Amino acid sequence: MSLVDDLVAALGADRVKAHPLELRVYDKDAGVARGPVAAVALPESTAEVVACVKAARTWGVPIVARGAGTGLAGGAVPTEPALIVALTRMNTIHEVDLENRTAWVGPGVINLDLSAHTTPMGFHYAPDPSSQSVCTIGGNVGTNAGGPHCLAEGTTVAHILAVEMVTVDGEIVELGGPAPDPIGLDLRAVVVGSEGTMGLVTRVLVKLTPNAPDVRTLLLAYPTIEGAAETVSQTIAAGIIPAALEIMDRPMVQAVENFVHAGYPTESAAVLLAEVTGHPAAVTAEAGQIERIALQAGTTEVRSAVDAAERDLLWLGRKSAFGAVAQSAPDYYLHDTVVPRTRLVETMTRLYEIADRFEISMLNVFHAGDGNLHPLVAFDGRDEGARERVMEAAEEMVRVSLEVGGSLSGEHGIGLEKRDLMADVFSPIDLDAQARLRDAFDPDGALNPGKILPHGSRCYDFGMQPPLSQEPAL
Amino acid sequence: MGWITGAAPTQAQLDACVTCGLCLPHCPTYRATGDEAASPRGRLTAMAAIADGIAEVDETFAEMMSFCLQCRACETACPSLVPFGRAMEGARAEIAAQLPGRRRSARRWLVGSAIANPTLVGAASFGAAVAQRIGVGRSGAGTIGKVRGLRRLPLRSSSTRGKSWPARGVPRGTVALLSGCVQDPWFAEVHEATISVLRAGGFDVVAPPTQACCGALAAHDGAVAQTRALAAANVAAFDGFEYVVTDAAGCGAHLKEYGHWAEGGDVLAARVVDVTELVAQLLDDGQLPEFGSRGQRVAVQDPCHLRHAQRITVAPRRVVAAAGFDVVDLDPSGRCCGAAGMYTITYPEMSESLGRAKADEIDRSGAAVVASANPGCEMQLRSYADEAVRIVHPIELYAAALQGRD
Repeated sequence: MSLVDDLVAALGADRVKAHPLELRVYDKDAGVARGPVAAVALPESTAEVVACVKAARTWGVPIVARGAGTGLAGGAVPTEPALIVALTRMNTIHEVDLENRTAWVGPGVINLDLSAHTTPMGFHYAPDPSSQSVCTIGGNVGTNAGGPHCLAEGTTVAHILAVEMVTVDGEIVELGGPAPDPIGLDLRAVVVGSEGTMGLVTRVLVKLTPNAPDVRTLLLAYPTIEGAAETVSQTIAAGIIPAALEIMDRPMVQAVENFVHAGYPTESAAVLLAEVTGHPAAVTAEAGQIERIALQAGTTEVRSAVDAAERDLLWLGRKSAFGAVAQSAPDYYLHDTVVPRTRLVETMTRLYEIADRFEISMLNVFHAGDGNLHPLVAFDGRDEGARERVMEAAEEMVRVSLEVGGSLSGEHGIGLEKRDLMADVFSPIDLDAQARLRDAFDPDGALNPGKILPHGSRCYDFGMQPPLSQEPAL
Repeated sequence: MGWITGAAPTQAQLDACVTCGLCLPHCPTYRATGDEAASPRGRLTAMAAIADGIAEVDETFAEMMSFCLQCRACETACPSLVPFGRAMEGARAEIAAQLPGRRRSARRWLVGSAIANPTLVGAASFGAAVAQRIGVGRSGAGTIGKVRGLRRLPLRSSSTRGKSWPARGVPRGTVALLSGCVQDPWFAEVHEATISVLRAGGFDVVAPPTQACCGALAAHDGAVAQTRALAAANVAAFDGFEYVVTDAAGCGAHLKEYGHWAEGGDVLAARVVDVTELVAQLLDDGQLPEFGSRGQRVAVQDPCHLRHAQRITVAPRRVVAAAGFDVVDLDPSGRCCGAAGMYTITYPEMSESLGRAKADEIDRSGAAVVASANPGCEMQLRSYADEAVRIVHPIELYAAALQGRD
């Protein structure tokens, strides 16, 4: 008998993968790290997830939950040979409750499918990561995903009311409930963003948001990136909270335009996408105000999407940005940091300086409204030393963000990528507290081990943590 | 062992993928299975593993590649512009070379040679036409053996090959018609409609006698030598024409990639047009009349090799609307119907589930007529849609309107 035999007995042979080539396709997400995979299981029900957890525990194999594999921080990439539980087949929208504006959905439901399902009913699911056409609600819960429209609506944690979860012992628990403000400790909020280290989420109760009665999407072009950033700061300072404020720099705009052909101005230094939603009168007033601010900040082109098709095309461009860089190089490394809005320009200048110094090609696209930067470095991993140079520059870029008062991760999660930088942000006491919380859910460290918290996070075992059996090759 | 043939996926093709995953939801097999190994990104990862020498071309690899419908919906969705269809043809060529015994030789012969032989196709079509009349087959006259959704075949088929038809009025140019392999005997009415509309639009139409089957099925199956031979024959046969018109989307998509298959192929490729493209142009130029709405709805089904491979979506709708019908889109409009060349035979279950899903879309659209610009899709739709639904090529609707018929 073996782990694979047990899984096959529970799920059937077609939903268990063990051939090296099949494991290979599951050993990474959309980022750059790869990790070792022992087996892959594709359960279809909570009961099957329980069976997967029990089988893995019996054979002492760690468990890594996976959605669509669009993560960029290695959250679903194992650090030691693990059972990957891919939850993509649990993609049923179980129940939509329009009166209470909620829905129970499977973790494998694709973010955009949920909105497509509820939009005709007058509602949508608000968090919209760039990968929303692909990524799953379960994955969004794991990383506390954000997205352009989280500026006004808040990130995933603000939209999850309850989760059903299989614990490391194979028990089924429900955390949270239909009430927006649960009684007692808010364990639901602990699970959101825990990257599968607390349990495997098998059902999610999400909040549905009413569709805006009116939408206006503005494309603003600038001769300098400072002008775009200035518009963002002044807009927020004027008391407007647009639905989204997104900046792309020239290299990014060029890559994107080459794919979508939406008429993006490819000669401008920066493009700002601003979207306002709400009552038609308010939308008109706010759009007008943003336009005036933009003109003062030196915009050279103001374009308003004339219809839904043009708006969709502009957003398709923005949301395809990461993939589009492959036109310039086969690999990319994408950052995800947050800086105070007021220090956007200064941070950008320092990032460009780092890119120049390391001689790397950097493209920029970011959620300017909440200061969430995504500097993106395009490189060819086969060039001698390229990967190392990129990673070295990456670390400097993150440290710059921290220096100006920013944070490690805006929305991609900590995963593997930022794990060892956690100590730069948190004191040993903070880390110990987080490690203890995690231990309360998973005392043996069987769930996505080696993620989020750096080694030695626990004060009591400081220095006694065994090294990772296999460091992922970056 | 890695790749062993010159037809293998190139490093540039594989490097173009940054594994962002934006292709996944557009892939019918990923949608159905949720399995990364059945996704475009997974398939490219597997190809890269072969190229990097960390995996072998074995049965698992072959199965992963064969399960792909080659619908190329992933290409439309890909911001990195990965030429997935080309990479997949390369992978299939490697499988054919490295695992020669894997496929039944009968099938290889069928797609590589028999289908390209008009005499054999003609004989088989006659047999099928007889069978339809004496009621052989599983269910209904449209089914012969494993082939479903046929039109009623003529007992005496007359090939278009080697014939020509003069323009009505003053000729504005000459176009060549791709007769095709099965299009000629099985979809004769589509050719008739194409020819009559092009003549009305002022073109002399010629079907060169030495033309061959386009070779799309052979290319999809990894039969490299046959694909090259067919491409070379067509490059010679179609030399010098202003346009080469096809009324089968799968053929058009393949002809437009001849640059990869034959010397001078790019010259031919640049002159290939789908009949709906050319007719839409003639409508825009006022060379063909438009008919007012008669209040009848027609659902337009987008063949993958028109929508994704050739990026043509407006033209067929334009042609249907010009024929006086109200165009309805199917939702989702870009999903493969499951026909996919030989896929109905190689993966009947997946093909059937996609076929049934498409039939449900047609049902929801409420249209009594569906226009599809590809013969494979047409047969698949006819197999699964309600019997009352008429499946036609868009050009047939326009030709009928032009002749004052319904």
